[in-house]
Amino acid sequence: MGDILIWLLFFFIVIAILVMLIFQLICLTDLEFDYINPYDTASQINRVVLPEFITQGVLCFLYLIRGHWAMLLYCVPYLYYNVRLYMQRRHLIDVTEIFNMLYWEKKQRIFKLGHIVILLLISLFWVIYSALEDDELDL
Amino acid sequence: MGTEYPNSPAIPSRPASPFSVPQSSTPFKSSGPVVGPEASAFRHAPPSSSQITPPSSSYGSMVGTEASAFRTIPSGMPNGAARPPPTSGFPNMPPAAGPYQHFPAPQFSSIAQVPPPRTSLAGQPVLWPPVRPVSGSFSTSPVSLNPTQPPPVQMGSPPQSGSMVQPDPVAPRSPIDSQFSAARATMQLSSPTAGSVYPVARPSFQSSFPGYISQQTTAGAQAQPRQSLAFHPKPGGYVPPMPAASSPYFAQQGGYAAPPSVASQLGHPREQIRHPGSTHPMAVMQGLVEDFSSFSIGSVPGSFDSGLDSKVLPRPLEGDLERNTLSEMFPLNCSSRYLRLTTSGIPNSQSLASRWHLPLGAVVCPLAEAPNGEEVPVVNFAQTGIIRCKRCRTYVNPYVTFTDGGRKWRCNSCALLNDVPGEYFAHLDASGRRIDLDQRPELTKGSVEFIAPTDYMVRPPMPPLYFFLIDVSAVRSGMLEVVAQTIKSCLDNLLGFSRTQIGFITYDSTLHFYNMKSSLNQPQMMVMSDLDDVFIPLPDDLVVNLSESRTVVDAFLDSFPSMFQENTNVESAFGPALRAAFMVMSQLGGKLLIFQHSLPSLGVGRLRLRGDDIRVYGTDKEHILRIPEDPFYKQMAADFTKNQVAVNVYGFSDKYTDLATLGTLAKYTGGQVYYYPSFQAAVHKDKLCHELARDITRETAWESVMRIRCGKGVRFTTYHGNFMLRSTDLIALPAVDCDKAYAMQLSLEETLLTSQTVYFQVALLYTSSSGERRIRVHTAAAPVVADLGEMYRMADTGAIISLFTRLAIEKTLTSKLEEARKSVQLRIVKALREYRNLHAVQHRLGGRMIYPESLKCLPLYGLAICKSIALRGGYANAQPDERCAAGYTMMALPVKKMLKLLYPQLIRIDEYLLKKTSLAEDSKDKGIWKGLPLAAGSLDPQGLYLYDDGFRFVLWFGSMLSPDRVKNLLGENFAADYSKVSLRELDNEISRNLMGLLNKYRESDSSYYQLSYLVRQGEKPREGYFLLTNLIEDPVGGANGYLDWIMQLHRQVQQNA
Repeated sequence: MGDILIWLLFFFIVIAILVMLIFQLICLTDLEFDYINPYDTASQINRVVLPEFITQGVLCFLYLIRGHWAMLLYCVPYLYYNVRLYMQRRHLIDVTEIFNMLYWEKKQRIFKLGHIVILLLISLFWVIYSALEDDELDL
Repeated sequence: MGTEYPNSPAIPSRPASPFSVPQSSTPFKSSGPVVGPEASAFRHAPPSSSQITPPSSSYGSMVGTEASAFRTIPSGMPNGAARPPPTSGFPNMPPAAGPYQHFPAPQFSSIAQVPPPRTSLAGQPVLWPPVRPVSGSFSTSPVSLNPTQPPPVQMGSPPQSGSMVQPDPVAPRSPIDSQFSAARATMQLSSPTAGSVYPVARPSFQSSFPGYISQQTTAGAQAQPRQSLAFHPKPGGYVPPMPAASSPYFAQQGGYAAPPSVASQLGHPREQIRHPGSTHPMAVMQGLVEDFSSFSIGSVPGSFDSGLDSKVLPRPLEGDLERNTLSEMFPLNCSSRYLRLTTSGIPNSQSLASRWHLPLGAVVCPLAEAPNGEEVPVVNFAQTGIIRCKRCRTYVNPYVTFTDGGRKWRCNSCALLNDVPGEYFAHLDASGRRIDLDQRPELTKGSVEFIAPTDYMVRPPMPPLYFFLIDVSAVRSGMLEVVAQTIKSCLDNLLGFSRTQIGFITYDSTLHFYNMKSSLNQPQMMVMSDLDDVFIPLPDDLVVNLSESRTVVDAFLDSFPSMFQENTNVESAFGPALRAAFMVMSQLGGKLLIFQHSLPSLGVGRLRLRGDDIRVYGTDKEHILRIPEDPFYKQMAADFTKNQVAVNVYGFSDKYTDLATLGTLAKYTGGQVYYYPSFQAAVHKDKLCHELARDITRETAWESVMRIRCGKGVRFTTYHGNFMLRSTDLIALPAVDCDKAYAMQLSLEETLLTSQTVYFQVALLYTSSSGERRIRVHTAAAPVVADLGEMYRMADTGAIISLFTRLAIEKTLTSKLEEARKSVQLRIVKALREYRNLHAVQHRLGGRMIYPESLKCLPLYGLAICKSIALRGGYANAQPDERCAAGYTMMALPVKKMLKLLYPQLIRIDEYLLKKTSLAEDSKDKGIWKGLPLAAGSLDPQGLYLYDDGFRFVLWFGSMLSPDRVKNLLGENFAADYSKVSLRELDNEISRNLMGLLNKYRESDSSYYQLSYLVRQGEKPREGYFLLTNLIEDPVGGANGYLDWIMQLHRQVQQNA
């Protein structure tokens, strides 16, 4: 039973990251179409950037202590990228240059999104797999 | 660059085509290859020919081109003439191709006279009267050369084999000389091949092969070509610029006079054409660099006559080589003062656009100062409301068309039919024009200003507000006094009389607020020492209405410098002061002037010393020195813009103050950075006074936004300059004035443009100082072209360079200086290579460098960008602050100012000063103000030179300048250290003339004040610092000289061609 709970936890963490990414992308798209101004965009996005990084870090940490090496391996590049951005102080949106960076910011988040979607599918697989496994044991 | 050189080393094999052909105006056909040899330079001057005017002095700068004209072509082939010219070349050119078009008739006309090929002229020298170019066309002067006899070589300089480079340092200076040299070089190359040398006068640019005459010369001929005509032999000396009048033509004629001795020669007189522009240093390269096509273009000839032109002629760089093709094509366009496109031909497809390696975009200066009589008309639609297209929001403009009896109008941009409001209705006459057209400036002028109704306001129009934030920490330079006096003297001239608001905060380690309520007699000072939690002590009275509180403000300005005179506090709480200023101003917006004297050291936003670490240079971290260190400043800048505050930063320190960070405030708020390194009131007072006064009294547009629209399929994508974007295409400008320009690049959204014309419309919505909301609209149309050659022909060097500079400066913020310079070079190379590919196949260009006439100065300006303060060298070549200040300044400069800064004017003035001419006459005399090439060879030790880059004057005293003269100019202390001598008017003619001259220059462009620096030849550090490093045509400090630069470009162009 423990396994399925832990996989469910992973699954929801991944969903949380996904939601934060989508939110950022929506903000950027809105900005591009002039629905919101750059000041609001920047403050909204910047509010969720760190939570996103931290959540992802926590996820990696959990994989580590649970010993899911393959999953961890899959998540490490993303983690490394985040850490690098943070170290270079480029993780936040710069409101003054936001339009020049718009293309890059969007592209970066779309890649992240792809990564996370794949992770989500894998997690889903594990949730179902472990649920079935539990069933088998019950039998 | 030398435009017209004809060019390329002649290829022996391609003999000139029969003359007849050339004459027929098809000069192009045979083009080019042949030509080369004739390097213009060689004219044979028969010694005997008395007729010949000595080319020498007269040539002056102009000469260069002509010289070229003469080139004799050694075409070895007797047969050559017989051969049909290779037609392929030019004929193929699309007729449209600009350069070519020009060529025609005028040049050749002279030719007609030319004896038929092969006909021997029997040695008679043919003299052609110099033809004055009519309407820009070149004049051609026929020349007959006699190759046979080796004319004595006046030049004396032996042909240098192969080496393109002139040994003479001078060369650049006197175009003539250089040309010759070049010519020689070419000759040599070419001559060997050709068995016989034919001297041919070539029209310079052309690759008119046909034209040259092939004369058979006897063997000796080859040698002859070398001989340069009378041109000044002197290698080093440059020729003083001759008065324009002496035209090169004469010289040519003279040249022609060649001795009859020649056996069978056909003199070919080709005329040459000279382009004024061509003369410049490029000439040196001539052999290498000729451009063919371009040259012919119309540069203009008339220059000789009018003083003005002659001034323009020689320097390619004459300020702005702006051409008006567009305004001729679309006379209703707004003036190029307001909008300049990098190329007036908009590519019709993305694939074409991708072959245009130069920036594609525009430089906009929405409030450029208009000369008297050309002010922008103001239109008030009152109840009608402003007429705009319903779909694309384009404002009504001269290009809209009225249909349906005047009830509908069709948008020029999106072709939508809009209804004409009842109040705006007017009948159409038979030709479809509105009958009230004459009363409608918005339908007849490219630039117009609409009074905006309340729909265009989000709040009542703001009053002009000036807020001064002054660093008073231990200032000993006299800055405070100057600032206070200047502000005080300008109080009456501040904009928005009776509505103007003003306020002050001073700071050292504490903040000082001043209550200037009108009921007080003296301002009340409040000191705040809590820097962590800044608040405003008085909500209302820190910013007051100037007219009501005038006495208090006066009292404050009188007293505050003395109050802080003895201040020994060296700290500077800049960040907290900035926050306080923000809080005070956030309600209204306005202009914030910051006078910063030291590195911010307390509170939020404190900065540390950086930039003195030499090890950082050349590494990947180098660019970090040029970007703001603390995100606080960017955030503040964004907040300022949001609240309509424009920030101008004045820096005064001799020590590092991190202008890279402070300048951010100006950069994102549409402001400006002024930097006075090591400010000393005694020295810099005039400059600061003038610039500060201009800053606060020039007409300013407040709380403005600007948008540039263009037709379907085209979109502006990136913007460059000092401002912040509020949405993808909306530029927020809290304050904008006539000294600011913005650049933008466009891209095509559709693979193929179907329209024939693209319309651009710049709209600036602003609040005028009088409190009126207005919209200034500039409209321009540009043709869509399908041909790359056409794009090149319609290119505008000024706009391209302006964009290049901005791109390069932006690049320095993310990478090394070296890379930024390389990127400039790379793009120039790509552009030239593409151009070469356009023509190479047809013309067998061999080793020639070709470039379009319209871009003849591009390489030189490219070099100038690399050598500008913002981009030059490395650690040792400029202080970090100086570099950053230059970068911020250049990001905002209008095109003309930018070009002047990149390639300053250098003129010799000693002779002028001696003349009795009064200043009033000088306008006629402009001819004497020929700019000299920026090379040390231009400087004659006996002369006095003025160097003017628009920001400062440098007066260079030659070491052999007569002491009397120096004494007259400088007074008794003429022998002293020049760094301590200041220039002032003395009671004698020379001195008055000089001061009058300087003032005239200052008045001609008052956006900055040029302070005079005196430099004596050989005075070590100063001469180098002020002048020598700025002589961009010289190789200085490891950087390329002009010649090397061209060679390098040329090599790279050919590499992958």
